[in-house]
Amino acid sequence: MIEAQSLTKRYGQRTAVDAASFTVRPGKVTGLLGPNGAGKSTTMRMIVGLDRPTSGSVRVNGHFYAEHSAPLHEVGALLDAKAIHSGRSAYNHLLALGATHGIGSARVREVIDLTGLQAVAGKRVGGFSLGMGQRLGIAAALLGDPQTLILDEPINGLDPEGVLWVRGLLKHLAAEGRTILLSSHLMSEMAMTADHIIVFGRGRVIADAPVADIVGQGAVTSVRVSSPQAAELARLLAAPDVQITSASGSTLDVAGVSAATIGGVAASNGLVLHELTTVTGSLEEAYLRLTADEVEYHTQSVTPEVVR
Amino acid sequence: MSTLAQPALARSSHIDASSRGLSATGILRSEWIKLRSLRSTWWSFGIIVAIQIGMAVLFSLTATDRFGEISGAQATDAAVSVTSVGLIFGQLVIAVLGVLVISGEYATGQIRSSFMAVPSRLPVLAAKAIVFSIATFVVTLVSIVVAYFVTMPILAGAGVQANPFDGTLWLHFIGAATFLVMIGLISLGIGATLRSTPGGIAASLGLLLVAPTILVVIPAAWANTLAGWTPSSAGQGLYYWGGTFEPWQALLVMLGWVAVFIATAAVLMKRRDA
Repeated sequence: MIEAQSLTKRYGQRTAVDAASFTVRPGKVTGLLGPNGAGKSTTMRMIVGLDRPTSGSVRVNGHFYAEHSAPLHEVGALLDAKAIHSGRSAYNHLLALGATHGIGSARVREVIDLTGLQAVAGKRVGGFSLGMGQRLGIAAALLGDPQTLILDEPINGLDPEGVLWVRGLLKHLAAEGRTILLSSHLMSEMAMTADHIIVFGRGRVIADAPVADIVGQGAVTSVRVSSPQAAELARLLAAPDVQITSASGSTLDVAGVSAATIGGVAASNGLVLHELTTVTGSLEEAYLRLTADEVEYHTQSVTPEVVR
Repeated sequence: MSTLAQPALARSSHIDASSRGLSATGILRSEWIKLRSLRSTWWSFGIIVAIQIGMAVLFSLTATDRFGEISGAQATDAAVSVTSVGLIFGQLVIAVLGVLVISGEYATGQIRSSFMAVPSRLPVLAAKAIVFSIATFVVTLVSIVVAYFVTMPILAGAGVQANPFDGTLWLHFIGAATFLVMIGLISLGIGATLRSTPGGIAASLGLLLVAPTILVVIPAAWANTLAGWTPSSAGQGLYYWGGTFEPWQALLVMLGWVAVFIATAAVLMKRRDA
């Protein structure tokens, strides 16, 4: 259980996290979703006491992180793959980390096996690929067998097999009743892994709901109709609460009317239909809609003129 | 990488109830594993041993005419000056290592792992200082003692009869090892304050080499006095007796320097975001 209350972090003039309040519950995978610079990583660093909140507070299982007598058994965190001395071997890194809590080499070997690092455990971390670094970070997070896991972009740099493994591992750990918080800016990944999503935009919590709700609430369901008599069909469907946009001469996107109604209207007026499809909004669309105004770094679309 | 264990293994079978929780001995052991598992440690200590013994042999071979037929306290002083001549270079090596021990953690991001394991932070600095001090003390003392026994026959051949059973001889040696420990701790404090390897090494060598040189050049009595108080100068009083400071005064001056830098580092470490 992670509880944040009005959590705020300012760096000079810039507000990285702005009065964020949320609760991460056990037994579920909770996703922290947001564009780059939205405050996800800063929030995670504050949870494990690396950054001091400007105001507000965050507690893990009812206590501040620093108050726990065995922090590694309480919380395991992968903040970034680079939190490891590059001159040390993976085995020695884990051994030194575990030693603080009296965790010995048997457990170190266990997490090395678990993350598939047996072949490189004796090698210096500096030569690791991004994916191996992530695996080592996950091994370090699991070292103390913690009740709560915090993972910042855990699938970054992993191969497809690794991605599947992380997904399975997180679901399994959540099923054991642990609290899992992971961040990502990949909405598709969240849709696959998370049960509950907290959306961050410019440091604020802009949505906090189960995955299904986020998809339903943010996205509009529309019907795509294709017909040689599209113009006539559009005229027949026109109503105050119906929105019709025309993608091309013969294709319409209709919102506010069901596919069944449109089919009925077409049949009773003898109009030919080539396509009639209900389009449900994806998590991706919902997310873009939610964060449209909250993106810190806007990109400009590159027009052909610019390219030339 | 193709066979991954089943997630079920995440539930540990190797953490027993007795090993739960942070402890001082655990943090010390952790810092010892960290120190011995880096190549820079072995390189630095290796260089210290080589310099200490090599310089002593060189010095004893070239300086035999200088001493003449001496024994007793004079011979002890001669043996000390021969075996401690390498410390002038050894202090630079230990200064670099002292900075690296902590700045390496900041440069690589390791410090975040260290602070997540020990969120109160200061025990990490304390354990680092203790482990690094003990290692430096042992390595320096052993290399000086070896240097003494290697150069003893050479000096004896030139008429210097240094008695290994002279208690003050060993006090000198302990003072020499303490000197490098103090230099190492000052550098550790500088490294933890600046959190950067190049910056820390520059500041540390600046304090040891540049500061006394500049102060000596300034034509004023206060500048010369101050030059005598810099760590590299005052610290010599720990092993080369009869200078400006008595050994115990030299120790107090060095402890003062250590206190200033370690205390600054501790306050900032506690306060700053990692």
